[in-house]
Amino acid sequence: MRYYESLYIVNPSYEQDRLDEVMKTVSDKMGEYGFSIINHRLWGKKRLAYAIQKHKYGSFILLHYETETVENLDRFQRFMILEKPILRNQTVVLDTRPEVQKEDETVDESKDLVDSQDRNSEKKEKQKSEEEAKEVVAEESGETGDEVVEEKASNEEESVEKEILETVEETVEETVEVEEKEEVQE
Amino acid sequence: MAFQSRRKFCYFKENSITEVDYKDVKLLRRFVNDQGKIMPRRVTGTSSKMHRKLVRAIKQARNIALMPYTNISTES
Repeated sequence: MRYYESLYIVNPSYEQDRLDEVMKTVSDKMGEYGFSIINHRLWGKKRLAYAIQKHKYGSFILLHYETETVENLDRFQRFMILEKPILRNQTVVLDTRPEVQKEDETVDESKDLVDSQDRNSEKKEKQKSEEEAKEVVAEESGETGDEVVEEKASNEEESVEKEILETVEETVEETVEVEEKEEVQE
Repeated sequence: MAFQSRRKFCYFKENSITEVDYKDVKLLRRFVNDQGKIMPRRVTGTSSKMHRKLVRAIKQARNIALMPYTNISTES
């Protein structure tokens, strides 16, 4: 008995129903060719390293199967290439029988993907909230007097030295605020 | 002024990894440079046996679009 692993990419615009249809057609074809399926599950929607047929994302589906005869493998490969919703597929030979995986694992992996995609947006939000907090502090100190404002400004400048990227924006904001307050007090 | 270089070691032997999976992109990324080129064995210190498996896995990952062939234009 030989074990194989196929990973194929389905058009990312397909939703769960149509994905299930594609998976069903693949499973039916495998039954026709006499392959017995071990695992057939959605791995998740991932960003492709390069565009395939102008698609930047793709739904990856992982398929483990076993067969005794090698004759139908070429036919199956041909079927996968001709199938329109499938953008790309790859089959590799496995040395040992793969473990049967539960469907819960796919959910966890998709969560990880979402987390990795949202990391950048979270960082931006954090930066924004920090900047807002600093502005509030500067405004409060502006009411008490010039000396306090200067102290705050110097403290902020020290922290600014660590974060090089934010320097330009913050210094501009500080100078603008200080100038405004001086005008008000005069 | 003797310059002592850091001792190289095989990542796979240290972590007792015997097989390289092409789906494990996080691992494979350690062995390609920013351009997406496979790093030579004399740089990474990987044993020749594992390097052969690694190269095969990286090429499989490239074929199925999990890793880039080149990283010049697409990476943002």
